Amino acid sequence: MKPDPSRVLFGIASTLSTQLAMEARTPFGAYLAGISAGLTSTLAVEFERIIDRLNTENHALVALVHDAKPFTSGDLRDRVSAAYTELVLPNLLLSTLVGANDRLRALLIDVHVVVEATPSEAALAMDARIWDELRESTRRRHIGIGAY
Amino acid sequence: MESGLAAYLSPRLANGAPVAIHNLLRIPGGASRETWMFEAAWTADGGERREHLIVRKDPPASLLETDREAEYAFYSSFAGTAVPVPAMRWLEQDPAVLGGPFFIMDRVMVGETSTANLLTPRYNAARGPIARRMYELLGAIHTFDWKDAPLARVTPAPTLDGCWSKELDHWEDVINENELSPQPIARAAIRWLRANPPPPAQRVSVVHGDYRVGNFLYHIDGEIKAIVDWEMSHLGDPLEDLSWSFMEAWQWARDGKPGGIIERPEATAIWEHASGMRADSIAMAWWDVFNSVKAQGIWVTGAKSFQEGRSGELILAMVAYSLINRQDEILLRAMGRGA
Repeated sequence: MKPDPSRVLFGIASTLSTQLAMEARTPFGAYLAGISAGLTSTLAVEFERIIDRLNTENHALVALVHDAKPFTSGDLRDRVSAAYTELVLPNLLLSTLVGANDRLRALLIDVHVVVEATPSEAALAMDARIWDELRESTRRRHIGIGAY
Repeated sequence: MESGLAAYLSPRLANGAPVAIHNLLRIPGGASRETWMFEAAWTADGGERREHLIVRKDPPASLLETDREAEYAFYSSFAGTAVPVPAMRWLEQDPAVLGGPFFIMDRVMVGETSTANLLTPRYNAARGPIARRMYELLGAIHTFDWKDAPLARVTPAPTLDGCWSKELDHWEDVINENELSPQPIARAAIRWLRANPPPPAQRVSVVHGDYRVGNFLYHIDGEIKAIVDWEMSHLGDPLEDLSWSFMEAWQWARDGKPGGIIERPEATAIWEHASGMRADSIAMAWWDVFNSVKAQGIWVTGAKSFQEGRSGELILAMVAYSLINRQDEILLRAMGRGA
C-alpha cells in the first residue's frame, strides 16, 4: 500500500507533535500528544525493519547455539539440536517470527548458563561469542529517529 | 473525580459543609500513580477557605505495583525533618471513593520537577547549588533515624549483609512475573550479581528508591523544596540510591553527568561528607549493575500492563519501546561489556 505505512505513521506523529499539541487545552493534553507522537515515530521505524531484524537474529541465534552444542548435554542438547526448526516457519506473520525469537532467546539463556559454568578456553571463547551476540542484539533493536 | 473528592473532603475540611473542587488537572508523568492537583474551597466563619492539594490515585495497572500505605508512611516519616516533603493529609484504601485507593497531600506551591527546564540557561546560576543540595539531602535521608518513624511499621528491615539479596530477589521476581520476552542480558547480569555479592551495607538506611533529577521540586533560588515519588522506598543499603541517581538513563543532557547537573565524583564527595559513609567503588559497581536490572524490571512490568490491556496509558508503551533496549545497552556498559 502507498504511501508507505512508515511514511503515514511519521505523518501522524508530525500532526500530533505540532498541530494537536498546540490545540491541547491542558498540559496533560499536550503531554499525551507528545507521547503519542513519540510512540508513533518509534513504530514507524520498527514497522520498516522488524521482519528483517527478527529473521536476521533468529538465523544468528540458531548458528550460535549450534556452535555451543559441544558444551551441552541431555535435554538442553536435544533443544539445541532442534533449534534449526525455528527457521522453518509456516508463514512470515510477525507473531510467528516473534514466537521463534522468544524460544531461541530462552534457549540462548540456558546455553549461556552452561557455557559460563564450563572451565575451559573453548568455553571462554564461546562465552565471548555469546556476549558479542548480546551486544549485537541491542544494536539491532536500537531505535534512532534522527534520520527521519 | 470532582464529585468524589468533594464528598470525601466535606467532612474532613468543612465539618460536613459543601466543598467545591476547582482547577482539577492531571499532572504529566507519574507512570505508577495518577497524580492530580486541585483546589478545595468551602465557606467557614463567613469567609471562603481554600486549600491547594494533590491526590495520588492508584491506576488499574502501572509501571509498578507498589504499596500506597508504605509510600504514605515514608512521606509522613520525613515531615518536619531536614528532608523537605509535602505534608500528608489522608490515606484512603477504599477504591469505591475515587475508583482506586489514593492519598491526598498538600501541594508544594513553589518549585518545579521538569528535567528539561533545569538544563536551560535560566538555571545556570542555580544548577550548581541545586546539585549540591540534591546530594546533601540524599545524605540526610540515609542518616535519618527511622526506628521510631511511621515507616518502620510498614517495611521490614534487612540485615546489613542481607540488603543486596533482598533487593535482588525482589527484582528478579518482578522480571520473572512480568517479562513478555526472554531477557538474556538481564539474566546474565543477575547471575553475575549473585556470584559477586557486594560488601555488607555500612548501615541500614531509608532508601528512597527513585532518587534522581525529576523526583524533587527545585527552585531558582538554588533550593530543593520537596522530594517526591517515594513509592519505591524501602530500608536497605544507601549505596543503592546513590548509584541509582547516577544511572545513565537519567543523564538527561547525555553528557555523562547525573541529571545533567553534576559530575559523579563531585556528587559522591558531597554525599560522603553529608552521610559520613563511603562510596566503595566495588560496592558501587555492583549497585550500578543491580540498578539496571531493577530498571529493567520496572520497564517490563509497564510493558506487560499495557500488553494485557490492564492499562491504556501510552507512557507504558513508550517506555517499553524506548527504554527496554536502552536499559540493556546501559547494563552492558555497567558490566564492562559495553555496546
